[in-house]
Amino acid sequence: MTDFGNRNISRRQWLQVSSPTFGSLVLASLVGDIARAGSGPLAARLTHHAQRAKRVIFLFMNGGPSQMDLLDYKPGLNERDGQAGRNDGRELMGSPWKFARHGKAGLWFSELLPHLAGQADHLCIIHSMQTDSSSHPQAVPLLHTGSFQFTRPSLGSWVLHGLGSENSHLPGFMTVNPTRVFGGPSNYGSAFLPTAYQATRIGWEKKSLRDAQVANAVPPAADSIADANLRLTQSLNRKLLERHPSNQPIQGLIDSLTLSSRMQETIPHLMDLATETKETLDLYGIDQKPTDNFARQCLLARRFVESGVRFVQLTHHGWDLHSNLPHLVDRCREVDQPVAALLADLHRRGLLDDTLVVWTGEFGREPEAQADHKDRAAGRDHNAKGFCLWMAGGGVRSGFSYGKTDELGFEAVENKVHLHDLHATILHLLGLDHTQLTFRYSGRDFRLTDVHGQVVHNIIA
Amino acid sequence: MQHLVHCLGILVLVVNAVMASEEASLESRRDFFERRVRPVLIEHCFKCHGRNNQAQNGLWVDNRNSLLKGGISGPSILPGKPEESLLIAAILRQADDVESMPPDKPLPQKALESLIQWVRDGAYWPDASPSLVNEQTGREPATNLWSLLPWTVSEVPSVVATTWPTNGIDCFILSRLERQQLKPVADAGRRTMLRRVYFDLTGLPPTRSRVEAFLANRSPDRFERLVDRLLASPQFGERWGRHWLDVVRFAESSGKECNFTYPHAWPYRNYVIDSLNADKPYDRFLHEQLAGDLLPADPAANGDELQVATGFLAIGSKRHNAKPTEFMADVVDDQIDVTMRAFLGLTVACARCHDHKIDPVPQADYYALAGIFQSTEPLYGTSKTKLNKNPGELVPIGADGRGKHEAAEKHEQLIKKTSAQLDAKKKDLLPQNEEPSESAELSNGNLVECLKTEVAELEANLQRLKENRPTRPLYSTGARDRKTPADARIAIRGDPDVLGAEVPRGFLSCLRVTSADLPPPEQSGRLELARWLTHPDNPLTARVMVNRVWHHLFGNGLVGTVDNFGSLGNMPSHPQLLDWLATAFVRQDWSTKGIIRSVVLSRSYRLNSRAAADTDGSLVSDAQAKDPSNKLLWRMPIRHLEVEAIRDAMLKTSGKLDTGRPQSSSVTALGDQLIRDIPLDELQPPSRYRSVYLPVIRDYLPVMFEQFDFPSPDLVSGRRSATVVPLQDLFLQNDPQVRNLAHAAANQLVPEQTDDAKLQDVFLRVLSRPPRDDERRDALAYLEHARATVRDEANVEVEVKTWGGLFHVLFRTAEFRCLVDID
Repeated sequence: MTDFGNRNISRRQWLQVSSPTFGSLVLASLVGDIARAGSGPLAARLTHHAQRAKRVIFLFMNGGPSQMDLLDYKPGLNERDGQAGRNDGRELMGSPWKFARHGKAGLWFSELLPHLAGQADHLCIIHSMQTDSSSHPQAVPLLHTGSFQFTRPSLGSWVLHGLGSENSHLPGFMTVNPTRVFGGPSNYGSAFLPTAYQATRIGWEKKSLRDAQVANAVPPAADSIADANLRLTQSLNRKLLERHPSNQPIQGLIDSLTLSSRMQETIPHLMDLATETKETLDLYGIDQKPTDNFARQCLLARRFVESGVRFVQLTHHGWDLHSNLPHLVDRCREVDQPVAALLADLHRRGLLDDTLVVWTGEFGREPEAQADHKDRAAGRDHNAKGFCLWMAGGGVRSGFSYGKTDELGFEAVENKVHLHDLHATILHLLGLDHTQLTFRYSGRDFRLTDVHGQVVHNIIA
Repeated sequence: MQHLVHCLGILVLVVNAVMASEEASLESRRDFFERRVRPVLIEHCFKCHGRNNQAQNGLWVDNRNSLLKGGISGPSILPGKPEESLLIAAILRQADDVESMPPDKPLPQKALESLIQWVRDGAYWPDASPSLVNEQTGREPATNLWSLLPWTVSEVPSVVATTWPTNGIDCFILSRLERQQLKPVADAGRRTMLRRVYFDLTGLPPTRSRVEAFLANRSPDRFERLVDRLLASPQFGERWGRHWLDVVRFAESSGKECNFTYPHAWPYRNYVIDSLNADKPYDRFLHEQLAGDLLPADPAANGDELQVATGFLAIGSKRHNAKPTEFMADVVDDQIDVTMRAFLGLTVACARCHDHKIDPVPQADYYALAGIFQSTEPLYGTSKTKLNKNPGELVPIGADGRGKHEAAEKHEQLIKKTSAQLDAKKKDLLPQNEEPSESAELSNGNLVECLKTEVAELEANLQRLKENRPTRPLYSTGARDRKTPADARIAIRGDPDVLGAEVPRGFLSCLRVTSADLPPPEQSGRLELARWLTHPDNPLTARVMVNRVWHHLFGNGLVGTVDNFGSLGNMPSHPQLLDWLATAFVRQDWSTKGIIRSVVLSRSYRLNSRAAADTDGSLVSDAQAKDPSNKLLWRMPIRHLEVEAIRDAMLKTSGKLDTGRPQSSSVTALGDQLIRDIPLDELQPPSRYRSVYLPVIRDYLPVMFEQFDFPSPDLVSGRRSATVVPLQDLFLQNDPQVRNLAHAAANQLVPEQTDDAKLQDVFLRVLSRPPRDDERRDALAYLEHARATVRDEANVEVEVKTWGGLFHVLFRTAEFRCLVDID
């Protein structure tokens, strides 16, 4: 199976350099070849065009980070602090934190993100994101599946559907500490796509990752007869195959058992961070108070992509600060060092070039103050019309800033990027045309982007 | 002369090529229109320039002629000349004398380019759909869609090998094979057949003693009698009921962003199982699910059943946090989708926002159906909370359910009233105590005493009321007509806030039946819809159902796309057989068991699964070469067992299966809650019941279900995917419950027996066959190794671990997970 996978990849690379017409001519015969090879639903597949990113790490900041306190510097807002806002009875609220320029391109970062600022030269910051809903229950599934109204496959599932897995001993799509709310598991589910494309989950949001594990991928007990079990199972299977020559379902099962035993070895090994150097553990902030949990997630993500997991989704919660904006300090302390370490680590290992990292919330926040309690500081309300995200690696322009919100940060005004555009662009970087990546279900060819989405070519290097 | 022939040949080739390319260009122009032009016109122009509106400036953009004729400003398009077309000038927004369109904001760049290119290329408009939105007459019904045509009544075809067929089905299968000069493979052996029919009809394996009794039975009708016994067993309904529950997206929570429990969905599950066991005629089954509440009922006999059946309309996934208009529109959409796909195999829900792009379903038909469902109130329960803007009611069931419910409600009212009285009296007491007015002190003293007595009485009363709450009845999901049934209005682009013309309630225009009853003004019309669905002139309903049966028995439907009989679905592999079965189904009073019985007793069902050479090497290889996908059914394909069958078989083999039925569902005890507030282990508590009784909580299925292709209960799924991934084996290998079952199975062996005898026993129990010699050798070596390796643990001895290990191995084999030849 591995052999077939490798052969396909090399053919695909060969195809990418040949002319598109020729490519499409031989495509049909190749697809037939792959099907005959019995490579299963996760076999590596041809891309639509040359690939810039082979894999994705998707960092979901659940709740909606406040962009004007982090990456969207608004001096105009600071000047008008306390003046009337757009909404009834609400006042504009400047950012209490200082901003400074970083990196060769002089991108703006607030003082809350000192580590990330150190990675400025890797970042492509989009200031002009927009989505369709400013309420969590809708915006979260929108971000992950492109729809809240209907049950649709998640981004990672579409990617597996389009590309297959990059490895044969690990799941192709992993989600770490996902949320149980706002769609919960459907945010990494496969809906009408084959279930093989759903994510394998580790842990839950708000729980420590320290003891989490992939269900049933546990090291065998000391007196285990696991090897003998596998040997006997496979010998029975092969005898069955002899009695049913060239029978696909049986061959498929034999292959899957070979892989499951490899997975069982690989996953606990991958989850065990003890093999990392102290320097690396410290770089991420593992075993340090505020950073430990997200640091583990980030380091796991690196280990996963390094081993060929196609799509890794990490979730970090607590960004929904309607009151108590100062808590943003804690959120940033939790993620800043780990994500910066992730970028640095990917870079030094040569993985950043073809790994796309995306950091985003489901929406952003308003430049106005909300919920001004006596005993609690004010926070900010949701904002679907303007928010900020950053990407790195995987073919995006580095040290680059794209799009603008208005002077105060209420909404995107220049080079707007809709969520569907983000999805189209992520697929594009992976070598997939979002208009062609379809699945026929219920008499229709469905797409991640439905009838929307434009690739944002300007952010591609 | 020869030269001339040669030239002509070339000419023919060239002409063919030109025709082909014209066809291709027609295809691509249609494609361009459907993808790039129609959506733009609908989204950006139609609101003001559509046929259902007062066309602005007299311009309608919903068909080509109107555009050519134009509005008061003159022709709107000049095909081939975008620069002279008013439409283009308007959307470019640069001409002083032409109003910019759309007035509020410019078209997106891509839309703009699309329209310009479209006009430049001649403004192609597909003839088949002259209008953007149906005007009742606007669209020709696509009478050429095979599934809408009446049944072809065909004689059973004659065959060469006259001794092969056992019934009519076989003649259809064999005649197709013979036409291709192919032969079916040999019959499967008896053990294989036994296992096949046990799993197919009951979802469970035969016990060892059943296997032995069957093999010992020499009577010629033993198979037929076995089939009848299995069809009559309660396990039949649990197996086939689950097939139906897949189709009707059964679940016990709302799913979506805010996932609420549906604690009272389980009666519908039982209703489905019981209906299949009773072999309720399928037309009746359909009528009850769509309109049971409107059928004449005998309260003592079937009153509950008819109410419970309509749970079909209430159990879909819902966005309880949506605003009510959106919520209702989505619920109605779900009901149209499930009704039309489950019964008709048509994807009518595509017409919510526009005419169906491919099938002959205009948007007006969708809203004709929507009127019926908008006039229906789904009863799904849940309580009003911040995240639930759309709670519903429920149906009380059981002996005097209605009476008990009313008594309980009345009692709650009384508690509320008493509690309010008590609060008021307490309030009366307070200020008087605090601020006694001097002049009235004396009389107040009496008053206070009096009040105190009253308070004490009320408190005692309240206490008594709370302690003596009458028993509530059981509840079920269901549906009923709303008080004032009404026709629906077309929602432009599917937006429930932008309404167009009203459409009389009715059915699909592409399927006309003679003298159909139309929805009466005083009722929703569900009953009439049910009658229309089962009308003798409606060929689809029976076709779709017999095809579902075929799918479950052969692993593939005669129509592969079991939920889609539209243009994008597959064509039937054996159209005459499909119609023959459909006719027989209706003639035999829509008996589902009857149709299953005839398929199972056919010779075609009895074939083995060998792909390569068998008895007659050359011919079978031919079949493999000519029809590798087995479309013509020259053999029985190897089929993966569903997750329920695998789990139930492990439980049964281990002697741990509880074949009873749980009182209700574990979700019932959880009450009205958000799923996310419930600890995970309470969502899926351990259970020894058959898998069909495990709670189906949207997004929180048991791990095993998630990994073994249980379909998403948000979606209509007549056909499950059958994927093989390593995580499935990881589950079987490491899940503690599977290991415990293997150990329990080992505990059933007779300790005194020799290893050889035990080995026989293990194979017979798990695989319904004895081990082969080479397997025996391997297994004995395994046992020796295991005995030497495993250690005693509390409660689990070496022998149990060792033999449990062997059971565990067999649970993981392909033979256990698939239906294969075992003889």
